[in-house]
Amino acid sequence: MKTVGGARRGLGLWLAQRASAVVMALYLPAFLAYAWASGPLDYPGWRALFAPLASKVAGLLFVAALLLHAWVGLREICIDYVHPLALRLPLLFLFALAYLGCLAWAADILWSVPA
Amino acid sequence: MRFRIYRYDPESGARPRMQDYEIAFDPAGKKVLDALIAIKEQQDESLAFRRSCREGVCGSDGLNINGVNSLACVTALAGLKEPIEIRPLPRLAVIRDLVVDMGQFYRHYRAVKPYLINLDPEPESERLQSPAQRAELDGLYECILCGCCTTACPSFWWNPDKFLGPAALLQAYRFVADSRDQAADERLDYLEDPYRLFRCHGIMNCVEVCPKGLNPTAAIGKIKTLLVKRSL
Repeated sequence: MKTVGGARRGLGLWLAQRASAVVMALYLPAFLAYAWASGPLDYPGWRALFAPLASKVAGLLFVAALLLHAWVGLREICIDYVHPLALRLPLLFLFALAYLGCLAWAADILWSVPA
Repeated sequence: MRFRIYRYDPESGARPRMQDYEIAFDPAGKKVLDALIAIKEQQDESLAFRRSCREGVCGSDGLNINGVNSLACVTALAGLKEPIEIRPLPRLAVIRDLVVDMGQFYRHYRAVKPYLINLDPEPESERLQSPAQRAELDGLYECILCGCCTTACPSFWWNPDKFLGPAALLQAYRFVADSRDQAADERLDYLEDPYRLFRCHGIMNCVEVCPKGLNPTAAIGKIKTLLVKRSL
């Protein structure tokens, strides 16, 4: 079959990867400082970190950014190395599914901590 | 001096091989191309390689020398580890010995329309630029299309038919940036593609090998910045 290319595609995901990197770069030091300032990190202390709603939301945003970043990176790897469409398409779909599952799981874990 | 040189003769039917040469040659002040010419003259006239200006202007003797893409005519012999291993540029089809088929490379170059597109009537003298507009083209127009950068790029190795490669992208930006060109939007339309542009992951192999000291990664970054600017 003929090789075709598409115009005006690819910028959105490239930008999403940068944006998600910024979210992670902002969250990680902020979270470390927050955890360090919050006292001893035993099990109750660790749970208490995620008691405020803002902490839950920020944590979920971080996980969402991480998974989006990972999926875009995986797509890059697939375009580079996995050339057969019959392999690439299911691979990207399965990872998207798995990552969405991870997101739901992370939400469940975060909101299992009582406020 | 000792050399190991890639040999391939399509007419013989034999597989490509590395051939050793030893030649009495004073490396002081000499370049790799001088040694190749000496080998061809004194030892093996069947050795095939391209060369023309022999001073880093024409860009025809791009080779892989001790694992690094460079122009044989500007690469000093002194300091190179022996045996000096000379191979054709990676990922291009070999026509014979060190001569590669540049067809794919030129197709990408043609695809970015490397010429001014300006529909205004031609002025009587010339299309003028301010010094600042002209300065925008510095670091872009100097490319000699030797192919060292594009063939050093893994993204080109994996998708040579679809990824334009650093040389063509540098040239694409050279015309996007030109104040006299009127087709920047169409050019950006063409470039905005997961393969043509976005295979570049910014690893900067191109910058490392460019014999003219140019920075295709920076040009690609500027293309991406323009794409973001016009979409937001």
